[in-house]
Amino acid sequence: MELKICHMYPDVLNLYGDGGNIMSLTRRLRWRGIEAAVTRLPIGSSASLSGFDLVFIGGGQDFEQQVLLEDLHRGKDAEIRAAIEDGLPFLTICGGYQMLGQYYETYDGKRCDFIGALNLYTKGGEQRMIGNYAFRCTEEAGGSVIVGFENHSGKTRLGAGLSPLGRVLAGFGNNGEDGTEGVHYKNVFGTYSHGPLLPKNPAFCDTLLAAALERKYGKCELAPLDDRAELAAHDEMCARLKV
Amino acid sequence: MKLKVFFAILLGRAVRLVSRILRRGGTDMPGRLALKLCPELLSVLARDVKSVAITGTNGKTTSARMIEQAFSDLGLNYFANRSGANLISGVTTEFLMNATLTGRPKKDYAVIECDEAAATKVFRQLKPRVVVVTNLFRDQLDRYGEVTHTLANIRRALQDAPEATLCLNADCSLTSSLALELKNRVVWYGVNEGAVPSRAKPVLSDATHCIRCQAEYEYSYVTYGHLGGFRCPRCGYSRRTPDYAVTDVVAQRLDGSEIVLSVRGEKHTVDVNLPALYNVYNAAGAVAAVTEMGFAPESAIRALASFHCGFGRMEEFRLGKAGARMMLVKNPAGCDQVLEFLQEVHEPFTLVVCLNDRGADGRDVSWIWDASFESLGALGSRLRRVIVSGDRAADMHVRIKYAGIEEARIEEQRDYEALVRELEGEEVPVFLMPTYTAMLELRQAVIRRVGGAEFWE
Repeated sequence: MELKICHMYPDVLNLYGDGGNIMSLTRRLRWRGIEAAVTRLPIGSSASLSGFDLVFIGGGQDFEQQVLLEDLHRGKDAEIRAAIEDGLPFLTICGGYQMLGQYYETYDGKRCDFIGALNLYTKGGEQRMIGNYAFRCTEEAGGSVIVGFENHSGKTRLGAGLSPLGRVLAGFGNNGEDGTEGVHYKNVFGTYSHGPLLPKNPAFCDTLLAAALERKYGKCELAPLDDRAELAAHDEMCARLKV
Repeated sequence: MKLKVFFAILLGRAVRLVSRILRRGGTDMPGRLALKLCPELLSVLARDVKSVAITGTNGKTTSARMIEQAFSDLGLNYFANRSGANLISGVTTEFLMNATLTGRPKKDYAVIECDEAAATKVFRQLKPRVVVVTNLFRDQLDRYGEVTHTLANIRRALQDAPEATLCLNADCSLTSSLALELKNRVVWYGVNEGAVPSRAKPVLSDATHCIRCQAEYEYSYVTYGHLGGFRCPRCGYSRRTPDYAVTDVVAQRLDGSEIVLSVRGEKHTVDVNLPALYNVYNAAGAVAAVTEMGFAPESAIRALASFHCGFGRMEEFRLGKAGARMMLVKNPAGCDQVLEFLQEVHEPFTLVVCLNDRGADGRDVSWIWDASFESLGALGSRLRRVIVSGDRAADMHVRIKYAGIEEARIEEQRDYEALVRELEGEEVPVFLMPTYTAMLELRQAVIRRVGGAEFWE
């Protein structure tokens, strides 16, 4: 068995530790004897998403955003929309998560059109939402408690037909107001938990891997791994956040 | 005004005295309180002092120590903010401790390290003669924001110091862009193509796209991070030819480097008394700064062979049977340089990584996943074991595990006293990699056991 993983825009969307997510995906596959191949699709690359089993899009700095949008609007947007509807698993974080939505409106009212794959939008807030945080995934998304670090000023709101990835236990989440965090639609998982999400949340990593493996090979059971170190880091943050 | 200055200085001195009696450093609080009383105090105290300021993401402290050694060798009457007290409060503390109660300076020169986020406040009052900007890397995101934000901060700060001569790292496309909009006189330093084995493309870059027009940079060579011979194919923005150029790194040893430095075309062989390539950059910047302050480059060059940095920057301790070296890490670029340095260690050793997430460390520890700890895997059995410590030891444990080090070689020890006791029996050399606040505590624990200098000395 093998999963082909696509890391989209690693050249610009690589804010703080995104590489750790790729590492977590590939290590946890290989530890189970499953092959993992990672392809990096930088800006300007014309490779298509067909043939990939899992797509990862990370977060970025505002500075590169314009470069990115130009590239997306050259056809990748339509391709991402089609892939999502087709059930391709995506993990998208922070900027990569916002990007799937309709638009981003800055605090001073400037509007930037995103790719509109999902019915959500983001508005720039006055204050940055920064800190360690925790949320509980919905049952459909595995039900595990996720710990991470968020750092965003954008407030994201989900439109009709979308469910959140989870409910905030400590911290801000999507907007700091409605208690939701992230998005879960078909096999798309979007979250503000940047850098990196997966190493410390092995159960969630396995949810993603299972989704990708099932889509490719049908029903599959993931062999258990020795997650003591990962869970120790996870539980320690839970204790600190009192969740 | 004069009365206000007098009382502000008096207050600062009193606070310092109390701090020292309580055996605290007192490097920050005296200045902070004095500034409350007299917000423009620093400008009064700095008016008749010739200052050289050092800012940038990495290498500030080491560069400052190099410059200081040159000043000391030259017999200059100078002072410096030694202990990393590099916000306006810390800088003001040093100035008020080196002035009379009426605000007249007791010294002619000052070597001032300045936090890049604090530069806007400091430079306006300090009016430095020479400013070194070492480099700009992505740093603690929660503290500084994006790197372009830090760059804008430094640019604003320098607008308030138009008389300053800037010594800029020519190899850093972010730092170099300061010259585009500032009217200051600029001199350049850098490491030339061919001086060190180099890469053709950056591996992990904090500046992939042109700061002016956002086209992707092309590189003729890369030394580390995003530093090297960059060129924008669209607008032509490119690396400037350095006035102070490292043309050859002849030898890189564990205790230092031998380099050839060309100062405006004249070649000098230079011994740098600290290892690793990033200190080669610091050395070139220090020579530039000392020369631009009006002294012969030879005085800086001689100083480089003898200076000691201390304070966690490749600092040596008599800990364990083969000694220990402490190497502060703060961000991925700096961490990668330290990890690269470890590749040059050709005997078995023990590594200790202490990760904290307090304010000065950055509360977000994600950056450890951007640093190439994978290179530890390539060391094989030379890496005896890795001990993880600090408030976020568990996160570091996971990082080391995913870097490919098997669990049997990873240990956790959060109690610094116990850690130091254990390391005392270590047969092989020990390398300690702490983040900033972890360094302060670990260093104290080490010094209590085996001796060394207090942090404000």
